[in-house]
Amino acid sequence: MQISIGLHHQRRFSGRPSAEGSPDPGLAVRTQGLTKSYRSPWTGRVQRGVEDLDLEVRRGEIMGYLGPNGAGKTTTLKVLTGLHRASRGRAWILGEPVEKSSSRRRLGFLPEQPYFYDHLNGVEYLELAGRLSELSAEDAHQRARHWLGRVGLGDRPLLGLRKYSKGMLQRLGLAAALLHEPELLILDEPMSGLDPFGRRDVRELILEQRQRGATVLFSSHILPDVEMLCDRVAIVLEGRLNRVATVGELVEGSGQTIEIRCSGKPALEIPEKLRATLESRQHPHETVFTLNHEPRLPDVLQWLLEAGVNVRAVTPQRATLEELFLAAAEGGNEPGQDRRKVA
Amino acid sequence: MSELAALERRGFRMGVAWALALGCGAAAAALAGFAYRELPRPHPLEELSYYPSGRHLEPATLGHAETAADLAWLRAVQYYGEHRQTDNRFSRMYHVFDILTTLSPGFVPAYVFGAFALAQEGSDFPRAEQLMLKGLEANPNSGRLAFELGFLYYVRPGGRDLRHAAQCFAQAARKADGPPASARFAAFARQHSGDLRVAYEMWSQVRERSKNRLLREMAEREMRKIRDALGTGRAELAVKRLTTPRVLVTRDP
Amino acid sequence: MKALLIAHNTFREATRDRVLLGVVVAGLVMLGLTQILTPLALGEGPRLTVDLGLSGISMLGLLVVVMVGTSLVGKEIERRTIYNLLSRPIARPVYLIGKWIGLSGALWVMVGTLTVALWLLLCGSGLAPYGPAVLEAAFLAGLELTVVTAVAVLFSALSTPVLSALYTLGLYCAGQWSYDLRGFAHQFPAGLGTTIGVVANLVPNLPLFNVRSLAAACQLAPPAQLGLATLYAALYCACVLSLAAAAFESRDFK
Repeated sequence: MQISIGLHHQRRFSGRPSAEGSPDPGLAVRTQGLTKSYRSPWTGRVQRGVEDLDLEVRRGEIMGYLGPNGAGKTTTLKVLTGLHRASRGRAWILGEPVEKSSSRRRLGFLPEQPYFYDHLNGVEYLELAGRLSELSAEDAHQRARHWLGRVGLGDRPLLGLRKYSKGMLQRLGLAAALLHEPELLILDEPMSGLDPFGRRDVRELILEQRQRGATVLFSSHILPDVEMLCDRVAIVLEGRLNRVATVGELVEGSGQTIEIRCSGKPALEIPEKLRATLESRQHPHETVFTLNHEPRLPDVLQWLLEAGVNVRAVTPQRATLEELFLAAAEGGNEPGQDRRKVA
Repeated sequence: MSELAALERRGFRMGVAWALALGCGAAAAALAGFAYRELPRPHPLEELSYYPSGRHLEPATLGHAETAADLAWLRAVQYYGEHRQTDNRFSRMYHVFDILTTLSPGFVPAYVFGAFALAQEGSDFPRAEQLMLKGLEANPNSGRLAFELGFLYYVRPGGRDLRHAAQCFAQAARKADGPPASARFAAFARQHSGDLRVAYEMWSQVRERSKNRLLREMAEREMRKIRDALGTGRAELAVKRLTTPRVLVTRDP
Repeated sequence: MKALLIAHNTFREATRDRVLLGVVVAGLVMLGLTQILTPLALGEGPRLTVDLGLSGISMLGLLVVVMVGTSLVGKEIERRTIYNLLSRPIARPVYLIGKWIGLSGALWVMVGTLTVALWLLLCGSGLAPYGPAVLEAAFLAGLELTVVTAVAVLFSALSTPVLSALYTLGLYCAGQWSYDLRGFAHQFPAGLGTTIGVVANLVPNLPLFNVRSLAAACQLAPPAQLGLATLYAALYCACVLSLAAAAFESRDFK
């Protein structure tokens, strides 16, 4: 069975700005001063979910959307998908304002921990999703069967959704988001509930979508996956956009150290000229020297070799995205402090 | 400006929804008012206030007064049967049938059964009459009820009320569902109440309208008797002294 | 079209949930029980069968509305299944209308099934002449349930399932008393009377759909009543669903 993979909903964006000031056609997602506030019905106090968010996601890229719990990631995604109404500011997806239901015609959305109708089975649910995304009945049926198999649920298509495990529900949600070949995918924690094999499959699916020309915006707590997949990463803290950059820009700018592993426990005292940049750590069967200033490496190696130390490995160490993220999340704040405005 | 456009768009949608709601709501209210004024509807409140217990019960039935009346009917029949076979005391008979007929004003058999049970077994003719009059008020076009009330007056324990019986039979004869015998019953009652001239007219109508030869002959016979009575001044030729009805059931002391 | 997709899914959910099946079975049992009671009715068996049958259809339908209809939207919000629908190109009013059509359809199937059973029962007892009156009363009962379903959708879109059940039942009771309220409006002084009159117009005019007493007497309602009731049901449902759409428009789904 041949299922066409391609952008069947391709629309040529005219490139001319609309009267409402819609964005650059090269952008899949754009927000402008996006603010979402919540007012307590009891106290009347207003708490902001996101504040003055200016975010741009280019067409065809994979962007990671990171932030600690309560930072405003899900709020942003819900505004983009029409589930929340913005308090202030604007947002567009694929050139259309998010207030219009037609803006979601070419959108695929996977919510965090998706729930489905207990009374349906996998095929029925995907057919419903397809029909609601304006596929024909026959097309929806064919694609439902295909995608159910593609996400690893094809062996029991008639199994009721009430019997699905958490991982199976996650896969089904992904299938529902991809069924109609959307141009923009918004995924909230797509790896949630999946084992390593499942996560690998999801990574492959996401990469497939980029090859197809789709744009992917996803939030995740699994930073190694973000590092592997994303072209760019946006970090949101306390409802505000903290930083947007490529993964490479983020980690390169953090500086790097060099780790020198030596066998045995040489009784060596670090020369004075190297003490500012070199540290040593003794392990049961080796000694590890950490150099935090790369230009001094030749001097260190010369010292070690002259001392007769057996150097086994010299490895550059870059800060991981996780470390950078944690540093950014904790930087400048007391633990637990949220500086979002409370009116 | 662009943010204003978004707010205006959402505001427009909400405005349309509210306008539709108000428009349809106003039209629905007007239609409801028209239906309330023009269509037949349940017993008016000001008359129901005469029967407080039934009146308070009806709103609690949430539109299912007829079903509640049916259940009350079952209970009333059981009540009658139980006491008919034991102590012949029917102290709550009127109350039960009053509630029943308030819940279902159109339930004609309930009036009839209740009234005759009250009059005969209950020895409570005034209440029986009250129940039947209530029924006629709620069902003014019921020939059957008029006939039954006439019959109630005719068999009134302690003394037949032929004048009222005749009125009721005559009313029944004018209604579409009145029994065919209503006209001659009316004539008969008039005759034996002593109102010979009116009775003569009534028999004349029976003779003209009846398709039954025997009934026409009977009417002719009674008319002849009345002519003789009026001619000779001897009312006894046409008026019988009817037996006095008595209570059928003797209650335990 | 999308409303019909939502409606089909809602209908499917209502029928697979077994609530509807249970209600139909209860209705059939109740109709059977009427035949046990008729010998005690002193000749009023037909009246008893028709009354209990039609009342049962109406009350069981109300039970379905309260059990299913009042959580129609609220449950989807609580369980977050609504995310999967409203993140697609569906306008929120279309979603609500689809929900209403779906549950109304399920209720009409229930009313139709029990009405056919009642009619067969009457035919089997030699009471076929009651058929037209019973069908007419059942049709109006179906319209009444459609109106109450719209009310349930409104409250379900605004509140939790428990509260919306209470509100719906409350408005149902008030609707049954609408004629009493209109009567009261004329008996009270101007200010209070006007207020009561306004309330009488706001609540659904449910006595308009009640011709059970006529059906029990084997009588048909005036033709004008059928037309008025149908038109009223359409207008009232449009009003209530429009209010639901307005309220739903700015709702956030947490």
